[in-house]
Amino acid sequence: MSFTVKGIKYKYSTDACFVLKDVSFEIEEAQVTAIVGPSGCGKTTLVSILSGVIPTLMPMGEFEGSFDVGENVNISVVSQSPENQLFGYGVEDAISFGIENMGLKNDEIVRRVEYVLDLLNIQHLRKRSVATLSGGQRQAVCIASVLAMQPDILIMDEPVSSLDPNGKKMIQFVLNQLRATGQSTVIVDNNLDWFSDIVDHVVGLIDGEVVFDGDKNEFYDNFEIQGKLGVTIPQEVEIYRELSKKVNGLNKFCTINDAKREIGKLIGPERACIKNVNSFMKSEEVLVSEGICKTFQDGFHALVNVDAVFERSKVISILGQNGSGKTTFVKHLNGLYRPTTGTVRYNGIETTGKSVAQISKDIILVFQHPEHMLFEETVYKELVFCATAQGVDYSEEEALSLLSCYDLLEDKDELPVNLSMGKKHLLTILSVFFSSAEVIIFDEPTLGMDLHLKKKLEDIIKRLIGKGKTVIIISHDIPLVFKISDQILILDEGVKLTQNTKQALADCDDIFEKINITLPPVVILSKYFGLSEACSDVNSFVQEIVDRLIC
Amino acid sequence: MGDFLQYVEMESFLHKLDPRTKFMFFIIMSVLTSFVKSGTALLFLFVVFTAIWITSHIGKFIIVLAKKVKVLLLFIFLLWLVLGAFKINEGPVIYRTALTLFDNSYTFSLDWFDLYKGSVFALRIFLMISAFYTVILSTNFSQIILGLRSWNVPYAVAFGIGLVFQIIPMIIKEFSTIMEAQSSRGLEVDKCSAIAKMKNYVIISLPLLFRVLGKGHSISLAMHYYKLNFKVKRTSFKLIRASYLDAIFVSVTVISTAITAVLQYMFYIPL
Repeated sequence: MSFTVKGIKYKYSTDACFVLKDVSFEIEEAQVTAIVGPSGCGKTTLVSILSGVIPTLMPMGEFEGSFDVGENVNISVVSQSPENQLFGYGVEDAISFGIENMGLKNDEIVRRVEYVLDLLNIQHLRKRSVATLSGGQRQAVCIASVLAMQPDILIMDEPVSSLDPNGKKMIQFVLNQLRATGQSTVIVDNNLDWFSDIVDHVVGLIDGEVVFDGDKNEFYDNFEIQGKLGVTIPQEVEIYRELSKKVNGLNKFCTINDAKREIGKLIGPERACIKNVNSFMKSEEVLVSEGICKTFQDGFHALVNVDAVFERSKVISILGQNGSGKTTFVKHLNGLYRPTTGTVRYNGIETTGKSVAQISKDIILVFQHPEHMLFEETVYKELVFCATAQGVDYSEEEALSLLSCYDLLEDKDELPVNLSMGKKHLLTILSVFFSSAEVIIFDEPTLGMDLHLKKKLEDIIKRLIGKGKTVIIISHDIPLVFKISDQILILDEGVKLTQNTKQALADCDDIFEKINITLPPVVILSKYFGLSEACSDVNSFVQEIVDRLIC
Repeated sequence: MGDFLQYVEMESFLHKLDPRTKFMFFIIMSVLTSFVKSGTALLFLFVVFTAIWITSHIGKFIIVLAKKVKVLLLFIFLLWLVLGAFKINEGPVIYRTALTLFDNSYTFSLDWFDLYKGSVFALRIFLMISAFYTVILSTNFSQIILGLRSWNVPYAVAFGIGLVFQIIPMIIKEFSTIMEAQSSRGLEVDKCSAIAKMKNYVIISLPLLFRVLGKGHSISLAMHYYKLNFKVKRTSFKLIRASYLDAIFVSVTVISTAITAVLQYMFYIPL
């Protein structure tokens, strides 16, 4: 049995434009359907229609078309933020909430709770409170709570967007379990990287229209549509795509092992890795942390003796699982936290004694969730907020030019909270251009961004470096980290494991194994084939392979 | 303490009590502190409360509460002091003087009785607030809902009350994060004049409002996803049962109430 989406058109009000225009596709039973598309293409609106939110809770708009499901078909949704979805103090309370609403008998409720706890392997969490769970655990409990209702279709809206690598692995395991049980699942996420193994069917939307409807392999073969949709595909597939443009007869691959085999057929088997020449140019130290220790009131040691150096015009990424102390550490750099012991020096001068606002003239932190930062009435005013607050001169022409450069000019008079998530994030990042700060810290800057916006982010970072700024990034997007960083600082349980160039760290498999983070495929393959240096992005890797073929 | 006005997870005897027992405690103590005006009786109640706090290891949270409400208590104490200062009472005098204002004669008289009266009213308020806080500290919102449901309170009301306690920590955390985010962008909330600080706090209220509205929207969506329907008869995964600890606690509550009533009768000084 499949579920048919037929000719859906929707606009939020009579005088607004259509957000969805004649959307039609099938959701096959027992398959995983991925709905992808750039930021603002209508994915969230489509989820609202499929889940019945439109028109039940939001009857105001104009809706045409149909989603042919019987009255007894049960559709459940797992949202991006489990903290906004879970009802119940404890895990058992949260899981049983939905089935209690169905008026089932007590023994049936107990049976279903036990079933989902076993299925998702979270029995060990049952007596915990939801507030003490990690992001991945909370999301797993959220999935359990809707699974207990035995939905015919399970819709997941960007379920791993704010999770660390461990959290993503947990959800991958959960999805594999669901697939094995034949659960019909729809995943709305523009990042195919984390669930490409289990996707069966891909539906691509641009500007509210279906531009692709086919299986995963057809999608991976269609390079043009991948580019238009701004979908983040697995890096192995990206390598194949770029390499196949330059090399004939390359067999398709989408896993590391397949890549080793197929590329090996081209250039020969693995070789011993030639030691990297250190091409890192040191520059002036602008921000230094010395022996930072932080113990909170409850006795928890969040940071233990963290030393770090941040140089001018460099990009330094901070890696680590959730709870490793990354955000706690950067909050010491901008003065939000004061260390229990240790110092932070900016241009040689200690920052203690200054307020956060005073420090922000030198060191600015852009938060993870743009809605914590947005409050002006227009996009333009939001862009120049930092300049206004810090008394920095700017020209209107420069500000409008920046908006135009990043496709926000037509939204300049719009209320910032009305923008899509990715554009909101971009706006908060752009506002630092008009700040006096020389050190800019981004906490998870890629949250909510499609590939187009990520490319804009890379461009923004290059421009900031070009202006002599220092950029510090906290990110779980490992391929991006290796692509744009000069140095990587790794934290684990509040302790600094290392700070070094990405070239040097590419050889440190033991460190990445300790923090349970996998190196990007380009790095793994570079080392496997003994390239002259461990490549950090697809284009340089492909060029190295092509050069070797020519030789 | 970041967890003020929130449930604190602990393994105390208070946490193990049936929520209905704690509700009864709160209702009885609220009524008692509303009617009891004897200083001796109130002191006895304070001793009982202190014993409960110490045995359940929540003393440090009550100290935090006391610090937070000290201004209110001081205001109440001083208010009654001032109101009684222009009345002449029996008993020891601390300071008395005659004064003339606008050709009228007044007697300013600070008596022991004024101090007693101010203390009684301040102690009553503190006991009322701390009875409520004792229940909130030791009962999570799921237990609150279960307890109210077992008393046949309509689920819509019980769920609403539980939701308030679920959302309060979220809003406190959101406010704190927004403050951090805006000061990180240059909004001065520390080293500035009181007026500038007030103005900047008002500025922060707008993103807080957006976030609260956003959370409200997400919660209403979640209620839809979980098919919450107040017209459907709900069942329950968990059942609450009273234990011997509840019997002990109820006995303590009843005995304390009886002793308080006796002390009120024996040692009441008309206020």
